[in-house]
Amino acid sequence: MQIDPELCIGCGQCVPYCPVGAISLGDSAAIDLDECAECGCCLRCADCPVEAIYQQEMEYPRTVRSILSDPLTIATESGISGRGTEEMKTNEVTARFKEGQVGVGIEVGRPVSGARFKDVEKIAQAMAAFGVEFEVCNPTTSLMSDPATGKFKDELLNEKVLSAILEFSVPQETLPEVLGALKAVAGKVDSVFTVCVACKADANEGIASYPYLDKAGVWYAPNGKTNVGLGRPLAKEA
Amino acid sequence: MTHTLHRVGSEENLREDFVVLAMPSKDINHVGSGPKLQEIIRICLREGAVKAGDARLGNEYHQGGLEKMIANIEDRAVVTAVFNDEGKLVKALKAIKAGDFGMSIVVSGLFDRVRECCHAAGQKVHTVNTSLGRWGATHKLPAPEIMEIQSMCGHGMVSVNLIMDTLEEVKAGKMSLAEASERLFRPCQCGIFNPERAQKLMAALK
Repeated sequence: MQIDPELCIGCGQCVPYCPVGAISLGDSAAIDLDECAECGCCLRCADCPVEAIYQQEMEYPRTVRSILSDPLTIATESGISGRGTEEMKTNEVTARFKEGQVGVGIEVGRPVSGARFKDVEKIAQAMAAFGVEFEVCNPTTSLMSDPATGKFKDELLNEKVLSAILEFSVPQETLPEVLGALKAVAGKVDSVFTVCVACKADANEGIASYPYLDKAGVWYAPNGKTNVGLGRPLAKEA
Repeated sequence: MTHTLHRVGSEENLREDFVVLAMPSKDINHVGSGPKLQEIIRICLREGAVKAGDARLGNEYHQGGLEKMIANIEDRAVVTAVFNDEGKLVKALKAIKAGDFGMSIVVSGLFDRVRECCHAAGQKVHTVNTSLGRWGATHKLPAPEIMEIQSMCGHGMVSVNLIMDTLEEVKAGKMSLAEASERLFRPCQCGIFNPERAQKLMAALK
């Protein structure tokens, strides 16, 4: 995103809207293009009184910033808006997460700060060591040069996005070990990231992942997402 | 994953914060899903949702009004509704179930309360997604009371700076709490930011 210095009147109205603090104000407002994640928030919401904010032409690899930062961009891989996939939201019709399997989501850059792909890669490589298969429908996976190792394309490593999501499934028994490795790599990145686990409830609505989270010694929230099972047709698990 | 997860708060204030999300699944039941999603949103609003949104095309502000937003809902949309009351949520879930739309419905909120609401609506928990919180460079996080507001937009569109600026406007008497909460809702394109909860959180910070 850019601001036309010839039009800008320096009112500063746009400055607080930027999620990554990339807009500064001197005689006129200016966007630090290296920090800008191309989320579109300033253009959509700041109501610039002189319409000085404009979307510049972007070429790859900068276009990746918009794909993973602007929530209204529809990713080719998932077919839906946003950075993620259907994941557990449609699990009753897809059976993506079967009993005994736990889905893991690591959103690098969320909830603040954004992330460079060099940080996303560090985490991806730590997880790839467990032989995980990153979700192919997730746009982040398509940016890897080698999903088996978690290596990203070299030209992307310094690109900044609001967040990039690593998604994969593991057998529930391996969850403590996987989370242990995640704890280890957490101290080596300059980004904040969120972690979540998804699993199917058992017949008594028990949550199979909880004992493994306890074993891993990690905190988990009392609130989260519940799929209430109204989607049809119901999946038939193999 | 995922934008309605990771909402930060106390058990007390999270009791007034639930998000209903409805969507089809690609290549399974997405054909013809648009009108069903429109009806689900109308049900939620009729039963007292605070806000409704369309994560595919943007919120009511972006689309020029709530009715336009609903009219524009298309196949493969992901629609949302925010509730601040369990009773209203249960009524909406019952009506959605009775409508037999076949769309996947996810409710975000305190697990024990959502489970009770599911049972009251005649449903059982199918799958859950649990937040393990924030890891890594957590020194970059804002204060917890700011996180409670910021985390209501999972895509990070409601910036910490905007929250701080808005709070200053409120403290200076230049903006009412209602105006402030709408200002913060507007960047949240999926419409899952809960302005009524935001008003209460900001009132405590005045």
